Amino acid sequence: MIRKHTRRAAKAAFAISLGVAIVLGGTAAVASATPQAKPTIVVGNKNFTEEYILGQLYGQALKAKGYPVKFAGSLGSSELADTAIKTGKINLLPEYTGVIVLDIAKQKSPKTASATFAAAKKFEETRGLTLLNATPFYDTDSFGMLSATAHKLGVKTIGDMKKVKSFTFAGYPECDKRITCLLGLKQIYGLKQAKFVQLASISVYTLLDQGKITAGDVFSTDPQLQESKYTVLTDTKHIFGFQNVAPIISKKVLAAGGMDLEHAINAVSAKLTLPAMRAMNKAVAIDKKTPAAVAKAFLKANGLA
Amino acid sequence: MIVASGPVIPNFGQGSSCEVNNGWFCTEWVRAHWSDTLQPALIQHIELSAIAIGLGFAIAFALALAGFRFRVLDPPIGTVSDFLYTIPSLALFQLLVPITGISVTTVEIALVSYTLLILYRNMIEGLRGVPAEIVDVARGSGFTRMQTFIRVELPLALPAILAGLRIATVSTISIATVASFVIAKGLGSPIFVALEQDVFKTEIFTAGGMVVVLALVADGLLVLLQRALTPWARLARSA
Amino acid sequence: MGEAGEVGMRTFVHAFRFMGENPHLLLEKTGQHLELSGAALGIALLVALPLGLWLGHLHRGLFVAASVSNVGRALPSLVLIAFGLTLFGIGFWNNTAALVVLAIPPILTNAFFAIDACDRDVVDAARGMGMTELDVLTRIELPLGLPLVLAGIRISAIFVIATATIASIAGGGGLGDIIVNQPTYGLAGVVAASLWVSGLAFLAALILSVVRRAASPRPVPVP
Repeated sequence: MIRKHTRRAAKAAFAISLGVAIVLGGTAAVASATPQAKPTIVVGNKNFTEEYILGQLYGQALKAKGYPVKFAGSLGSSELADTAIKTGKINLLPEYTGVIVLDIAKQKSPKTASATFAAAKKFEETRGLTLLNATPFYDTDSFGMLSATAHKLGVKTIGDMKKVKSFTFAGYPECDKRITCLLGLKQIYGLKQAKFVQLASISVYTLLDQGKITAGDVFSTDPQLQESKYTVLTDTKHIFGFQNVAPIISKKVLAAGGMDLEHAINAVSAKLTLPAMRAMNKAVAIDKKTPAAVAKAFLKANGLA
Repeated sequence: MIVASGPVIPNFGQGSSCEVNNGWFCTEWVRAHWSDTLQPALIQHIELSAIAIGLGFAIAFALALAGFRFRVLDPPIGTVSDFLYTIPSLALFQLLVPITGISVTTVEIALVSYTLLILYRNMIEGLRGVPAEIVDVARGSGFTRMQTFIRVELPLALPAILAGLRIATVSTISIATVASFVIAKGLGSPIFVALEQDVFKTEIFTAGGMVVVLALVADGLLVLLQRALTPWARLARSA
Repeated sequence: MGEAGEVGMRTFVHAFRFMGENPHLLLEKTGQHLELSGAALGIALLVALPLGLWLGHLHRGLFVAASVSNVGRALPSLVLIAFGLTLFGIGFWNNTAALVVLAIPPILTNAFFAIDACDRDVVDAARGMGMTELDVLTRIELPLGLPLVLAGIRISAIFVIATATIASIAGGGGLGDIIVNQPTYGLAGVVAASLWVSGLAFLAALILSVVRRAASPRPVPVP
C-alpha cells in the first residue's frame, strides 16, 4: 500500500520537475532569442525636497523612455542611501559628489568641482557602481542664520563666529560627524563652542524663525535663501566642498541598459542648472506643489517626457 | 561637459497666498492635492491597517485556541505579546528594516505584533469567561468537545472578542501613521512631509483629521457589527 | 530565518555595549523623558481624576465617559504631536499638551466606572450615617474603586512613557531623540534606548502596583 503511493508520488514528482524544466528552458531560450529587455530601474532618493524632485526627474524621464521604473521611496540619510545602493536594494541614486568623497569615502576635499567628481567616480567604481555626468548646479551645505542675528553679532564669514562665546547650530543627525558639517566647523574653523541641535523632522528655517537656534545647516539651493530674512556666512576655507549632483548607478544595470540608458540620464542632468533647481525647489517648498508634478512639468517643457 | 542651450524653466504655478504664508487652512491646497496626495495616502492607510488586522486576528485566534486548549502555553504567549507591545513603534519599525527591508512586509510585521496583545488577551479572557456550568450542561447533553466549542463557548466569548477587535482596529489605524517613518505609505507620510516643509499647517490638519475620522468610522462600523452579532448583549445591557 | 536571528542577536549585544559606552547620554535623555512624561501625566491627573470621580459619584455623564474613551483611542499620537506643533510652536507646551490629551481618557473613564459601579447599598448606608457627599466619595467609594482607578492610571502612565518617544519628532527631547536618529546612534542605540523605554514603563507599572497594595484595605483577621 505504502510502496504503491510512494511510486505514484515519485512518478508525479518526476513528471512535474521535467515539465518545469522544459518550461523554464523554453522561456530562457525565448528570452535570449529576443533583444534584451530593458532593466528595471529602482530609484532611491533622500528625504528632503531637492532629492524628492531629483528622484522624480530621473525616474519619470526613464519611464518615458520605456524603462520599468520603481520608486523606492525616501531614505533617511546619505549613509543609509549608500547602504541601499551598495547592497543593491536600489540601483539609481542622485547623490552629491562632495558627500561621496568627504563623508562616504572619507577622503580629503579636492580643490575643484571636476576633481571632486573624478574622485567620487573613482571611489564608486571600486564598489560595482559608477557615476554618470554631473549636473551644472551644485548644492553645498551653508552656514545659515537670520540676517538680523548676523547683523547683531557682526559676523560676515564663518571665521567671524570665533568671537561669539557660545551658539547653537542645528543640523541633520549625521551633521555632527561630518567634515562637511559641524565636525568641519569645529576642527577646521576651530568653532569648538558650537552646541549641536539635532533635527528630526522639522526644518532649520522653522527653528530659526522661532528663535530656537543661532544658526543652522542650510542648503545653497533652498528657496528660503532668496529672502532677505536669511543670510549665509562665507565659507572662506571651503569646508563644504563641491557638491554637484551625479547619479550613482549600478554597473550591471548600466551594462544592461547600454548607451540608451546613459544618454537618457545624462540628458536630464544637463538641464539641471542652478536657476532651474532653485525654481523647482521654490515650487515645492513655497508654492506647495508636489515633486512629481513639478518634475513632470519640467521634463515636458524640455522635451524629456 | 557640453553645455547645450539652457533649460526651459516652465511656470510651475504660483501658490495661493494662503499656501505661501502657511495659513491655518488652505482649501485650495486640499482640492488641488486630493487625488495626488491625500486619496492615495488614505487608500494605502486602509490597506495597511486591513492587512494587519486581518492577519493579527487570524494569528491571535490560532494562539488563543492553543492557549485555551493547552493552558501551559498561555503564560509564554501572553508574556511575549506583552513585551512586544511595550516596544516603541518607532523602534520596532527600524529594527525590522535590516531583516525585511524597507517594505510593506516590515510595517505589517510590526503592526501585527501590536494587535496580538490586545486580541490574544481578549480572546482568551472571553473563552475563559464562559461559565463552567454551561459547558458542563452542553457536554452532558451529548455535545462533543468540538460542538461545545463552536455552538456554546465561541458565541459566548464573542462579546469579548469583538471588544478586542474594536480596540485593536483603532490602535492599528493609529500606529500605522508612524509607519511612514520607514516607508512612504499611509496618511503619516503627508504629515512627515508637512513637518519638514516648515510645518505646513493645512496638510497636517487634513491628513491628521482624515486618520481620526477613519478610526472613528471603523470603530462605528465595528459597534454595528457587535450589535448585529451579539444581540443578546444589548438586551442584557438595557435590562 | 537564521540570518535574521543572527542580526537580531548581534544588534542586541551591540545595544548593551552602547549602554555601557554611553551612560551619560542615556541618563540625560531618561531625565528629559521622565520630565515630559511626568508633566503630562501630572496635568492629566489634575484634570481627569477629580472629574471622573465626581461624575461617577453623581452617576451622570456615562455617555461622556464612554465617548471620551472611544475618541481618545482614535487619536493617533503622531497626529496630536503634529497638531501640538502647529498650535504652539516648538517648546515645552506643544508636546506636553499632546501627551495630556492622550493621557486623559484612560484616567477619566476608569475613574468614572470605578465609582459608578460602587455598591449603592453601601453608599446609601454611609449617607444614612450622616456623611457628606465628599466624605462618601473619599472614604467609601474611592477605596472600593481604587483598583480600577489605579489600573486606569497605570494604562495612562505606560501609554505616555511609550508615546513620549514620538515627541522627539517635534523637538521633544527624551529617549526618543536616540530612537529617531539611527544615522547618529546606529541600530544599537535605537535598541538600547527602546529597552530603556520599556524599562521605564515597567518601572511605572511596578510603582503603581506597590501603591495599590499599600492603599488596599488590610484583610480583617478572622477570629
